[in-house]
This record gives sequence, C-alpha cells and structure tokens, in this order.
Amino acid sequence: MATQAAFMPGSKVETETFWGTVWSWLTTVDHKRIGILYGSSAFIFFLVGGIEALIMRLQLARPDNTLVGPERFNELFTMHGTTMIFLAVMPLSAAFFNYMIPLMIGARDVAFPRLNALSYWIFLSGALFLNSSWLFGLAPDGGWFGYANLTSAQFSPRHTIDFWMLGLQILGVSSMLAGFNFLVTIINMRAPGMTLMRMPVFIWMSFVTQFLLVLAFPAITVALILLMFDRFFGTLFYAPAAGGDPLLWQHLFWIFGHPEVYILILPAMGIVSEVLPTFSRKPLFGAPVVIYSGIMIGFFGFGVWSHHMFSVGMGPVADAAFSISTMLIAVPTGVKILNWIGTLWGGSIRFRTPLYFSLGFIAMFTMGGLSGVMHASPPVDLQQTDTYFVVAHFHYVLFGGSIFGLFSGIYYWWPKITGKLLDERLGLWHFWTMMLGFNMTFFPQHYLGLIGMPRRIYTYAPDLGWNFWNLISTIGSFLIAVSLLFFIANVIKTRRSGAVAGNDPWDARTLEWAIPSPPPVYNFARLPQVQDRDDFWLQKYGDGHGGAPRPKGSPVTAAEIAAIHMPPTSYWPLLLAIALAVMVSGLMISMVQVAIGGVLTLVLMYKFAMELHRPPGGHGH
Amino acid sequence: MADHAAAHAVHDPNIGNTGLDNRKVGMWAFLGSDCMFFGSLIGTYLAYKGKSISGPLPHEVFDIPLTSYSAALLLASSLTMVLALAALQENRVKTAARWLFVTAMLGLHFVLNQVYEFTTFVLHHGLTLSTSLFGSSFFVLTGFHGAHVTGGVIWLLMLVTLAMRGKLDARDYTKVEIAGLYWHFVDIVWIAIFTVIYLIP
Amino acid sequence: MAEHHAAAVATHGGGGGHATVKTYINVAIVLAIITAVEVASLYVPGVPGSVLVISLLAMSAVKFFLVVGFFMHLRYDHPIMRALFVGPLIIAIAIILAVMALFSAFVLLPRVVL
Repeated sequence: MATQAAFMPGSKVETETFWGTVWSWLTTVDHKRIGILYGSSAFIFFLVGGIEALIMRLQLARPDNTLVGPERFNELFTMHGTTMIFLAVMPLSAAFFNYMIPLMIGARDVAFPRLNALSYWIFLSGALFLNSSWLFGLAPDGGWFGYANLTSAQFSPRHTIDFWMLGLQILGVSSMLAGFNFLVTIINMRAPGMTLMRMPVFIWMSFVTQFLLVLAFPAITVALILLMFDRFFGTLFYAPAAGGDPLLWQHLFWIFGHPEVYILILPAMGIVSEVLPTFSRKPLFGAPVVIYSGIMIGFFGFGVWSHHMFSVGMGPVADAAFSISTMLIAVPTGVKILNWIGTLWGGSIRFRTPLYFSLGFIAMFTMGGLSGVMHASPPVDLQQTDTYFVVAHFHYVLFGGSIFGLFSGIYYWWPKITGKLLDERLGLWHFWTMMLGFNMTFFPQHYLGLIGMPRRIYTYAPDLGWNFWNLISTIGSFLIAVSLLFFIANVIKTRRSGAVAGNDPWDARTLEWAIPSPPPVYNFARLPQVQDRDDFWLQKYGDGHGGAPRPKGSPVTAAEIAAIHMPPTSYWPLLLAIALAVMVSGLMISMVQVAIGGVLTLVLMYKFAMELHRPPGGHGH
Repeated sequence: MADHAAAHAVHDPNIGNTGLDNRKVGMWAFLGSDCMFFGSLIGTYLAYKGKSISGPLPHEVFDIPLTSYSAALLLASSLTMVLALAALQENRVKTAARWLFVTAMLGLHFVLNQVYEFTTFVLHHGLTLSTSLFGSSFFVLTGFHGAHVTGGVIWLLMLVTLAMRGKLDARDYTKVEIAGLYWHFVDIVWIAIFTVIYLIP
Repeated sequence: MAEHHAAAVATHGGGGGHATVKTYINVAIVLAIITAVEVASLYVPGVPGSVLVISLLAMSAVKFFLVVGFFMHLRYDHPIMRALFVGPLIIAIAIILAVMALFSAFVLLPRVVL
C-alpha cells in the first residue's frame, strides 16, 4: 500500500486542512520538521524538569519543611535528573543536529530520513512512558543513576524502578538510531569539496558526540538488561547474597555515564564555536586544535568513569589511575577555552543575545570545570562527593554550560528556522535574569556542600547553619523561572511582529546562512561546491589576502528545482514507535502484551523495510 | 554502458560523495556499537568468573564437542553467505537464494543446538538463570548472542522469500551485503565467546 | 537491463579489489583447521595454563581477523569502514580488560591487588 504522495516543493496538500497539517507533521521525514519536533518537546520537558526542581527548592527553602515528604522528594530528584538529561538537554541538542547538520554540510536531508522520524517518535513514546509514571503514583525514586541494589526487586518492589529502567531502554534506542543516522550523514553526505577538516566545528563536535552515543549507550543497555533480568527473572547480577556485586552496576552505568556528560556538553561547545566567530567577525582561533581537542575528549572520555566511584573502596591503584586520567582530560577542555578567548581577542565584537549566552557559557563552564578538577583528586573528592558541592559542580557545567550554550544556539539559529528575529531587549532580560538567578541558585551550593550538606536529603535541622544559603538558592531558582518567562514572551511576541530575518541576519560564516530563512524543503536549490572552511564567508568577502569574493554563478532555474526529488512522507515510523512502546511496557503488565507487541514490531519493521523496495511506479532503490 | 552505470551511481540516493553506500557505512557503525554491547556482556561474565558461591561449575556442564560443532556450523555459514553474495553479484538469483537458505539453516541448526544445550543445563544439571552468577551471566550472554543469530536467520529467510518471488536481484546487492556483514559479525562474536567462555579454563 | 544493473553494481558494489570464491574457500579451510587445533589443544596433557590461554586467544584472534578481513571484505574496503569498526573494537577490548582488573579477574597475570 502506497504511503502519502511525495511532498514536492510548492505543493499545498499539507496545509489545506487542520487535520491535514497534523497528519503531515505525524508523517514527516523532513529533518527540519523533525528538528522542530525535538526542540518543542525538549522545551516542554525542560519546563517539567524545572517545575520538579522548583518544588524541591521550595521544600529546602526552610529547615524542617513539610511541603513534600521523603518519598515524594526521592521521586522529584530522580525525575528531575532523568528528565533534564534525557528529555531536555539531549533532545535540545538533537534538535540542532537535526535542523543544522544537513544545512551546514550542504546536504538536502540526513542519510536515513525515515529512521530519523522513527528516532523522534521513539523518543516521544519513551518520554511519555517515563512521565506516565506520575499518573500511576509510581514515579521512579531510585535516583537518576539507579544504584544497585536499592533498585533490586527486594528493596524496590513497586514498579517505580521498572518505569525508569524500561523508559531509559526506549530512550536509548532512539538515541542510538539517531547516532547512526548522523554518523552516516556526516561521513557520506557532505557537499563536494567539504573535506573533514573543512567542516564547521559544530559539525565536528556533533560528529564526536554521535560516536559517543553509539558506543556509550550499549553499556547502559547492558546494565539495564542485567537489572531487568534481576527484577523480572531472578538472575543474581546485583545480588550480594549470591556473590553478585552492586559495583558491577556502578561500573557499567558510569562507563556509559561519563561519555554521556560529554554527549551533553560537546554540542553546546560546538554551538559556541560557531557563535563566537560570527559575532567577533574573526575565524575560530586554532580551529584544527579545537577539533583535535574534541576528538581527544571523546576518546579519552571512555577512560575516566570511575572518578564517580572514588568513595566505594576500589583501592589505591584504581583510584590513582582514574584520578590521573581525569586530570589529563581537563587539558583539551582547557585548550578549547583558551581558543574561544583567542577568537574574541582582537575581534570586532557585536554584542547580541547569542553572544551573551556564549560568553556566559565560557564563564560558567570554566567555573564548573574548576570544581570538577577539584573532584579529580580522590582525597579531596572524599569530602565533596555526595554533598551539595557536587550538585553545584554539575549544574555549573550542565546548566551554565549546556543550557547556556543551547540558548545561544536558539537565539542564533532562531531567525534561520522561523524567518523572524527574536527581540533583543527581551533576549537580554532573559540572559541577565538567568545569569543572576543561576548563580544565586548554585554558587552558594559550593559552600553548603563544603560545610557538610549532603545530596538528596528532603529536609535538614535548623541549627546546622544551612538555612540562609538554602533560602538564597531557592530565590535564585525562581529567578531562573522568571527569566524563562522573558524567553516565552519573546517567542510569542515575535511570532507576529518579529523583524524579518532574511538569509543572513548575522553576516555569518557557514553554509546555512546562504539559503532563505526558513529554508525551502530541499534546502539548497543547487548543492554548494565547497573550497574552504567558513566557505560562505569567503564567498562573500574573499579570502582576506587580496582574493576577491567569489562570482555568484548563474541563477537557479525552475527546471533545476523541479528535478529535485525529496523523500515522501511515511507513517511507518510513527506506527513502529508505538509498537515498540507496547512491547516494552508489556514487561510490566503481561507477557502476552510483550508477545503481541513483539510480533507487531517485527511486522512493522518488515513493512518499514519494504516501503521503498520495488515500489509501484518504477523508482526502486 | 559505462555512462549508464555512472549515471545510475550518481542518481542513486544511497551513494554519498565518498562513493560509499550509506547503508554499508551505517551497518559498520552499528557493528562497532554492537562490539560495545557484547564487550559489556563478556566483561560481566569475566568479572564474575569463578565467583559463584554454589551451583555447577562451567567445566562440569560444558559439552565441548557439541559446542565445537556449533562453532563449525557458524563458520561454515559465513562461507555460504559469501558464496550467496558472489552468486548475486553475477545475477544468479536462484543460486544466491539457495546459498542464503543454506546459511539460514546452518544458523537455525546453531540456535537449535543452543536450545538443546540450555535445556540440558536446566534439566540435567540444575543450572538456571537464578542458580548462580555463572548461570545468570552464561545464559544472558549466550542468550543474547542466540537472539542475534535468530534475528539474522529471520532476516535471511525474508531475503530468500523475496528472491523466490522475483523481488530480489543484483540491484539489491548492497541490501544482501549488509545482511552478510551482520551475519559474519554474529559469527565473530561467537568466535570470541567460544574461546573465552568455553575453551579457556 | 539486468546486465546494466549488474555492471553498475560491479563498479560500486565491491569497493577496491575483490576476493574470489577460491579465496573464500581457502579461508574457510584455514578457519576449520584452526578450530580443530583449538579444540584439540584442550586435550593435550601437560600444557601450562598460561600457555594454553595465550595460544587459544591468539588462534581466535587469527580466526576473528580472517573473517573480518576476507568474509566481511574489510581488507579491501575504504579505510572509513575499518575505522568505524576497529576503533570501537579497541575501546570494547580495553573496557573488558579494565573491568576484569577492577574485579580482580586476572588469573593469567600476577594478581593485581586493587
């Protein structure tokens, strides 16, 4: 049975009716639409995770508070962490991978457009599955890292951990499929002349991230499989009574978990590496060095994982080995920071909102990196681990780093995606309120940690000296919430009355700015021929050594555009994602559902694979 | 004819500017990832080796002759797989389909041997998933490998069915090639498992 | 038409260089021989454990790379494919060894007390 007719440029089929529009979004395989889907979903879950945080901060604002009890607090910090990492930061990065990678490498779409859609729908089903736990009163409560054997059937008999465990498996499938897709896209679909070293640094950072995704997620997949078998089938992987070792979970989890934090930060670093040159009107200082540093961080990121385990008793040899590797990995990161500063130095700087967020990134991420290097020393870490000092550290790198970097990207690429500029004044209100609120929230937590406040406690006694800074921290968190209101207001306001962006509102350097905003469905009417890094800048201004701007070339003809063939829409990704969710959730309900879901999944995989195999009407692949 | 071939290659949306096929690059990336998956499972098995506090020991239950026979089956199936591909490249579809079918049957035989092995362990030796660390780690590791083989068998049989219906020919070389890559991978994982779990004392 | 397609396939289906059916059969024979030797070595009396382990690992490594290089065609393929497989393989092996060390699983080397 044929799926929807090919969406050809200029056709009006999709927008004629409301349900037609909905269906076109449900069956889209266009990387730009999928990017928007990821971005919108991620922002909503960012707000959900934020509300979970605000409730926690309200509870901790005063000693002996009774807003929420200990069980609810466990659920809140578990879901806040899981949501922010897997449902906010990662999909926000994915939104940029989806929208920007093909544009920046001069391609018309990703290597596997339907697989791309499948990744999104699997992500959404996993996110909804995980959050449905709230509705059943079974929100996960074992921490976002789910240490064994608290998560065993014996100590967590309710389905809370199952929601977490199965939800993460679903999300892992989504991430890995996307990782393969972008790997192949970046390797194989670059425009003619775009060698690897001519790729924009955002593409390089994304490239390394995809490797991390496909190599790190198998470790947590195995960790979760072992947990699932323990909980459902009575295996003994994490059972101390049978000789099992709960540390096996910690090792497998952090073998995933450490590359995961680089997955969370590298895209933001890539964004910053694009924004700084644009607003300094200078190329990235030492771009090859930044690229090699990114590669080193990715590779050596697999060798530091047990620095999350300095307090478990691995012994001096293991402690020392991981301590050294952790300190070493700070070097390429530091190199990047110097290169970013070197980019700004001597540049003709235009202060716009994207630049502010990138500058905020550099400052906040450096602070987070400094506290991180402190943790690299096991004796020092023994004081800091499991205290608010660590909470401060990772929020500086994840919020001050990733979130600030991602907002930089949002403000930077918003005009390209929507065709309208965001308002600068509201943008600055957002930035400064967020800077103030963020630092108010998390800076005092360094101090609170050092004077002894542990993590994951739902309340504290009034005579410990923690009261004042907890209150300040809570006020700061509400300032963060206010800052987001500025952003939301900006989005709403400029939907109608925003200034038209045009192709290249920032006078930027990379290929995505050479095409209209928003881009046509086929991206490039004529695929670019790339001659250098920052090729678009060179097209505009020449090479700065006397070489003239490049001649424009003949205008694109209607015949050329008519000859472009874009992939048709498809409903198999959506259906397959639903079948997968049915199968996985059945593990908590009945094996009959697992079997039905499994058969359905296999059948739909077959239909998915056969859709483009000898379709009627010729064009077989 | 060369022009037609060149034009066809340029028009083929699966071929990138590197001259490589997207699906082949994607399959190699997937196999790299699967190395990490099996690496984690093998690491778990080796971490727990010798640490079970009760239950039968590996050398008490392993049937080396049977397992060696199974290993030989998979190695043979890798040979039949490349023979299928060689036939398909010359558009000898019926021959290719036969070799694909033999490959699938060899794989099926492997899986049935494993089912027999698992049943023997449970019924004759009292070794189950929950008996000991050995039981848990052995069944999960080899079970997931067996699941990979089963998936491969299904994939191969689907290709055979397509060929019988006239819907598979030399144009689909890359599709069969990536099935072959997956199949060989499953074979080399078994080489690793066979040596590390069964042979090494 | 099928000949056109076959020709097209031949130009881009095989990558640079190609193994022949004869090569495949030779490789298969070598694989069978090595497997036989591996199994037989278990029954040879008086071999020290460490020697047995090293030789078994070496023989399997040879089998592994024969299948990867010839049957999976990696020997003749674009270096990108090699990188996509060998890099992760190295990381996976390193992690297996690290986990073994962390769980004191080494019986071959002097026991490292961690």
